[in-house]
Amino acid sequence: MLDSSPHVAETPAVAEIDALHVTLRRGDQDIHAIRGMSLDIGPGEILGLVGESGSGKSVLAMSMLGLLPGDARTSGRCLVHGDDMLSAPAEVRRRRRRSSLGAVFQDPMTSLNPTMRIGAQVAEAAESDEEALRLLKAVGIPDAHRRMGAFPHELSGGLRQRVMIAMAVAGSPSLVVADEPTTALDVTVQAQVLALLRSLRDQIGCSFLLITHDLGVAARVADRVAVMYAGRLAEMGPTGVVLREAAHPYSLGLLGSRLSLGSSRTEPLATLPGEVPDPTRPPAGCPFAPRCDLVTDRCAQEPVDPVEVAPGHLSACVLPIEQVRGATEKAREKEGAPPAGTSGHPAGSSTQPQGDVAVDVRRVVKTFWVKAGRGRKQRLAALRDISLTVADGESVAIVGESGSGKSTLLRVIAGLEHAGGGEIALGHGVRPQMVFQDAGASLTPWLTVGDLIGERLRRERMSKPQRVERVAAALAQVGLPADVAGVRAAQLSGGQRQRVALARATVVPPKVLLCDEPTSALDVSLASGVINLIGRLRRELGMAVVFVTHDLSVARIVADRIAVMYLGRIVELGDAEDVVHHPRHPYTRALIGAVPDFGADPPALPGDPASPLRPPPGCSFHPRCPIAAEVCADPDLHPRLLGIGHGQVHQVACIRTEVL
Amino acid sequence: MIQLVSKRLGAMAVIILVLTAVVFALQKASPFDPVHSMLGPSASREAVAQQRHALGLDQPLPSQYWHYLTALLHADLGMSYRTRHPITADLATFLPATAELALFALVLALVLGTALAVATTLRWRGAGVLRFVLVAGASTPAFLLAIGGILIFYQLLGWLPATGRTSFTDAPTGPTGLLTLDGLLAGRPEVTLDAMGHLVLPGLALAIGPAVSIGRVLRSSLVGNRRTDYVRTAMAKGLSEGSVLRKHVVRNSLGPALSMTGLQIGLMFAGVLVIENVFSWPGIGQYTSLSIPVGDFPAIAGVTLLLGAGFVAINTIVDILQAVADPRIDV
Amino acid sequence: MATGSTATPVRSRARPRLLSGGGTTRLSQAAAGLFALTTLIALLAPLIEPYDPLLPVGQPQLAPGEQGFLLGTDSIGRDILSRVLAGWQSSWWAAVIVIASGLLVGGLVGLVAGTFGGIVDNVLMRITDTFLALPAPVIAIAVAATLGPSFAHTLLAVGIVWWPFYARIIRGEIRTLAARPHVEAARLAGAGRIRLGLRHLLPGAVPTAVVTASLDVGSLLLTLAGLSFLGLGQSAPAAELGADTAKNLSFLLQDWWIPVVPGVAVMVMALFGNIAGDGVRNLLGDR
Ligand SMILES: Nc1ncnc2c1ncn2[C@@H]1O[C@H](COP(=O)(O)OP(=O)(O)OP(=O)(O)O)[C@@H](O)[C@H]1O
Ligand code: SF4
Ligand code: SF4
Ligand SMILES: [Mg+2]
Repeated sequence: MLDSSPHVAETPAVAEIDALHVTLRRGDQDIHAIRGMSLDIGPGEILGLVGESGSGKSVLAMSMLGLLPGDARTSGRCLVHGDDMLSAPAEVRRRRRRSSLGAVFQDPMTSLNPTMRIGAQVAEAAESDEEALRLLKAVGIPDAHRRMGAFPHELSGGLRQRVMIAMAVAGSPSLVVADEPTTALDVTVQAQVLALLRSLRDQIGCSFLLITHDLGVAARVADRVAVMYAGRLAEMGPTGVVLREAAHPYSLGLLGSRLSLGSSRTEPLATLPGEVPDPTRPPAGCPFAPRCDLVTDRCAQEPVDPVEVAPGHLSACVLPIEQVRGATEKAREKEGAPPAGTSGHPAGSSTQPQGDVAVDVRRVVKTFWVKAGRGRKQRLAALRDISLTVADGESVAIVGESGSGKSTLLRVIAGLEHAGGGEIALGHGVRPQMVFQDAGASLTPWLTVGDLIGERLRRERMSKPQRVERVAAALAQVGLPADVAGVRAAQLSGGQRQRVALARATVVPPKVLLCDEPTSALDVSLASGVINLIGRLRRELGMAVVFVTHDLSVARIVADRIAVMYLGRIVELGDAEDVVHHPRHPYTRALIGAVPDFGADPPALPGDPASPLRPPPGCSFHPRCPIAAEVCADPDLHPRLLGIGHGQVHQVACIRTEVL
Repeated sequence: MIQLVSKRLGAMAVIILVLTAVVFALQKASPFDPVHSMLGPSASREAVAQQRHALGLDQPLPSQYWHYLTALLHADLGMSYRTRHPITADLATFLPATAELALFALVLALVLGTALAVATTLRWRGAGVLRFVLVAGASTPAFLLAIGGILIFYQLLGWLPATGRTSFTDAPTGPTGLLTLDGLLAGRPEVTLDAMGHLVLPGLALAIGPAVSIGRVLRSSLVGNRRTDYVRTAMAKGLSEGSVLRKHVVRNSLGPALSMTGLQIGLMFAGVLVIENVFSWPGIGQYTSLSIPVGDFPAIAGVTLLLGAGFVAINTIVDILQAVADPRIDV
Repeated sequence: MATGSTATPVRSRARPRLLSGGGTTRLSQAAAGLFALTTLIALLAPLIEPYDPLLPVGQPQLAPGEQGFLLGTDSIGRDILSRVLAGWQSSWWAAVIVIASGLLVGGLVGLVAGTFGGIVDNVLMRITDTFLALPAPVIAIAVAATLGPSFAHTLLAVGIVWWPFYARIIRGEIRTLAARPHVEAARLAGAGRIRLGLRHLLPGAVPTAVVTASLDVGSLLLTLAGLSFLGLGQSAPAAELGADTAKNLSFLLQDWWIPVVPGVAVMVMALFGNIAGDGVRNLLGDR
């Protein structure tokens, strides 16, 4: 399916970008956002545009929509149906947007006008209320008639994004520019939205420019993939070809560091060291040169333009494709033996919980009272009867969608939140340490790294030089030089901040390390380095790790066991490989099916994740469960975690396991 | 909705109660002795004691406060030492003139503020200069604006009158007390026109400060809203600039400007006290200026209560309007 | 209940950059210069006053420049320039005292409320909001009028109504900071309440407090001048800018400079304050 691109070269392109350069102004600096991009989009084609943050994807989107800020300087052309969206008069561009273009942006909450009803907003694009209603129905909004009168904040994230899509396809545009349309959504909802995009393409026949930082997302729906790096095209070709036979070292690096459900658990993850170049001072030659293993003398001299390496497959690299592929093969073989310094596999052996207990969570309940408008308070059941034991030195991952209570569980264990019921016992009575999702925000901005790490040493009596030494040792352990102690968080990059946070947590090694999505704010190339580091620290310091993530492939790598949460309950718990490869709970199955991965494309789980404000009675999953029976909705039903198979280590909370 | 209104009204009642407590406490802390003020310095001890008793001043404070409150509920603000009239009656006499001036200034401030916001938002050559004029406007004391206005428009150009509300000795005194309206109601448009002329200078002097503040807030929320994601969405829909502005930018910018207007009314009330003085405007401000030097505390207290309660009431209305306009505001 | 947006402080918070376009550094330099100038004039006033501001030193009602009186003389022959300088000095001190005490009291209330949260926060902020819901200038006038005219009473009156605004802003900033993960990280690192407040919260609120205070100087000066105009400042014959205008209003139409010059001095001072405030904001970032 992926290779049978409907894009036929002869038909005139819907959009043509030719030698596009865009320079933006920030403060008194020039940001060279796009530095020579050429590509075209055929009728009915989905082009996936992939790149790390800052590579210029969104600026490209804005160029196509003719919505660049007024002080942007441009050259080249950006044609949509023959009109140049860079230089055409404002009125012409506006008409093009009105008649031929649609747009979907990343954050549907801020992208909708908060004080205007949904129906009115869609009708602005659709010309009439009837058409708006029809569109809302077409994008799968249940109860569309009533929702017309709703305000954006009254809808869930998934529904809001559907509203955005309804506006984008109003008036049957020939091209929809979708900038990270699923990044803010949960995986199951992401799968629904991607499926929707493709079915709309099939019905309306419009093209899509689908911008994403996740190769897996592009792999799922795109006909062709374009990889961008530092404002330039690195590689472009049919999806299957680029994913399987990538020709550019950067694409290969991205593919290598990307985690999937099949990544090896016993080797350190491949990483892409280094950072994207500073957009204010772009390099003259190949921008990837500072990070490229194959770099030659020729690379840094002059811009490397994409050339065709196979029909319809472009790559911007001076080396012949055979040489690139050959070198990568060799590098892979070498990596088989763990390189010095990163010894061993990230996760450790899949030991069963044995030995002493590090954390014992028993029947913990947590309820928040939240404002419900009109001055009322509403109960929000964040944790509903959670029990979980983590052994000394063990690593347990907690996965679940947003609102399932993962972070709350972690915060209750950390003592940052008081449990409303049940008990938390810490094996050693020592306070656990925690690493946060946004490492930058977890470091006090006006204190130096040295102050922050040293703060944990206050209790221990030691001289100042001793303290300095301990701080330096902690920094060395996370791979940072000692002089980092003198700087503040703002001067560090994202990956460095997360390392500082880890150094702070481990300067006095805790018995338990709690990690709340420590990699989800990082680009793939940085995330794998942090995951490797957590694995190494865990082994060297003998810590138990509780790792919260929404990403099953990360969970599988970092954890011995995985606990799957849904609406404040653990619905499945077991050995990491077992849970991923032999999921038993229907929710886990749906979750695994929704992981955007190459080739896989099971039907998306219907419906929105239910709200913890109104958890459905009985098994809370029943409104979305494909195998639900009538009893599942019985308010007296409380599915408990029960062991299955021998050893009973794999536990599932479903009354119909026999069907599975 | 009903809940929202009742909650806001409840809050308003509490704040007004605190206001009465503040005024009462001030009265107690005042070095002026009401009895002496009433009887004069030569009164005999017995007379003073008798008067104290008659006024309830020998009772414990809480019960004095209670009496004070019950009197307030009967619209009894006491007697003015200076005019020897009930203060309620005095205020009723002087309120219309002040109300007319304040209303006129408020409308001026809104119009000017909006114009300033729009003029500084648009890109044109004078925008930079205009912005400097704005800072200067915000830095000028109202009384300086007032006397500057008199010097230029009365003395130099002779375009506008400098004092009072009207040039007519037989101007109608009812039914509303607002001369501009009463002139029309009495079928004498010349009175209305003349009253307008009298309003211009004091109104401008009062309005310029608040207009700058309102204009700035409006401008910054207009500018801020133009950069929002939903405006980008609206542009991407291909809406015309005008309808993006009207439907998405302006509507969402009015809230902060409205709050600012509510708050500026407090400044305007203080300004009225000053400005009426300059223009011999026969309103509450002049009444207060005359009361201050002679220590006529009951009069000052009455004015404080009236203006304070008015301010609180106006801001409560602003609040309710805002909650109605923005569906996200929690009650 | 007294909370809600009735009390949302908008006093010059939402102020857009006024003189933008001229380059941030130039504005900041100009601001620093004006601030230094204002302070210098205030501190050196007794030395640079050409005459005694309180005594008649020449013929009454001389026009500016006449007989060497740079800004003329007033109705009883006192040197207006000397009186303006003396008034400048007392306005400067008044502003400094009110702002310093407002920052101190408001900062303390805001810090305690923001750091402790919960009931403490609730009670302190209800009180603050109630005060904010009253018209500050009107209350200040009432207080000053009741206590009787004197410099100390004016300061007290304005000080009483000035701190709640700072308390609100600083508390808000502290609450925003307190919601950041860095505070939880510090708690996990073993920092107690007091250490959290002083080390992990307070420094973050300082720039906001400074910006708020400097943007506030202009309106404070105008409020003080208004009180003085109403006769609620120092008693005669002290030189005070607002009062000097008010007392000489009757000369407006013959000898305009007698009432106008002190008013212009207020304007200049407030203008310097406003520009300096903008400069400080540009320097410390928009908050
Ligand atoms: N302090 C709080 N007050 C009120 N509600 C809260 C609070 N903390 C969490 N919640 C709510 O509890 C529910 C579970 O939150 P939690 O943060 O644990 O979810 P999560 O699975 O980590 O989601 P995400 O992936 O978005 O971080 C959510 O609905 C959240 O809004
Ligand atoms: S051009 Fe050179 S530096 Fe760039 S990707 Fe190819 S080999 Fe690496
Ligand atoms: S208990 Fe019922 S609803 Fe819940 S997962 Fe099992 S079958 Fe589905
Ligand atoms: Mg979370």
